[in-house]
Amino acid sequence: MRRRLAGWVLLWAVVLPASAYTPRVNYQLQCMGCHHGNGAGEEGRVPNVRRTLVPFSGMADGRDFVMRVPGVAQAKLSDAEIAALLNWMARNLSDVPLPTDFVDYTPEEVGAVRHRPLPALKQQRESLLQAIGAP
Amino acid sequence: MKWLDSIIEGSTRSLARRSSRRGFLGGLGTLLVGAAALPLLPVARGAERAAAKPAGTAADPGDPATCEYWRHCAIDGFLCSCCGGTQTSCPPGTEMSAVTWIGTCHNPADGKDYVISYNDCCGKSQCGRCFCNRNEGDSPLYQPGQSNDYNWCSGNSSANIPYHCSTARIVGVAE
Repeated sequence: MRRRLAGWVLLWAVVLPASAYTPRVNYQLQCMGCHHGNGAGEEGRVPNVRRTLVPFSGMADGRDFVMRVPGVAQAKLSDAEIAALLNWMARNLSDVPLPTDFVDYTPEEVGAVRHRPLPALKQQRESLLQAIGAP
Repeated sequence: MKWLDSIIEGSTRSLARRSSRRGFLGGLGTLLVGAAALPLLPVARGAERAAAKPAGTAADPGDPATCEYWRHCAIDGFLCSCCGGTQTSCPPGTEMSAVTWIGTCHNPADGKDYVISYNDCCGKSQCGRCFCNRNEGDSPLYQPGQSNDYNWCSGNSSANIPYHCSTARIVGVAE
């Protein structure tokens, strides 16, 4: 019993620090290395989320795409942290103003689609970009 | 003025008695060679430099040219502080990588965790000084965003430029 308890304490010690961060710090730790501090990314290499996250979030297949791209799906964050992070990004790292009817991401929504692989990522992105009229 | 003449004459004659032209040339040669060889003597200049260097500030303790410096807790590479740059800037002739690996380190001065960005400096061959590999929070290569084993210089505008050294820049407090 004592050993099991010690195991739980150890698990908490390992799990808790990661879940204690604000969405802003989670963005810095999980995303900023490639997408840069402002989300603008690298032309032709790292996608710019500033012009795409909010419009994508307004479409069913766009939301699905956002939650399944490798950087989001494979980040070492819980479903709740992913949802909070995406909602924070939509409000803080977007050139497109947040629409009044914006629907926040929820942990349940993230958990439902996150682990489904996204095989045709590039084609999916291209068709979404065309749908929102991006260059 | 006769006394001055006699002093000059006396000293000139005594100099001529004691020295020869060849002796003068020999001495001059020794002096020239000696002056050229002086910088080659094994003097501990490195130790002097280290002693003169301040060991950080109260808020940012430690020497950035050592692996033990607190910001280096998750670094893997050569320290730019030893390569002609600093912990926040690249040495001359190199450019900072645009994409980077990011971790957190504990600052002993205020007890807070800080988000540290380990931007690589790129454009010259490996620096080779002060290699440091501490890897706290490092992930295997199959989690690319969390791995410091990558050569992050490959993300720069001019692809595949060589890795030189790594910086350790503070992004903010991890809270």
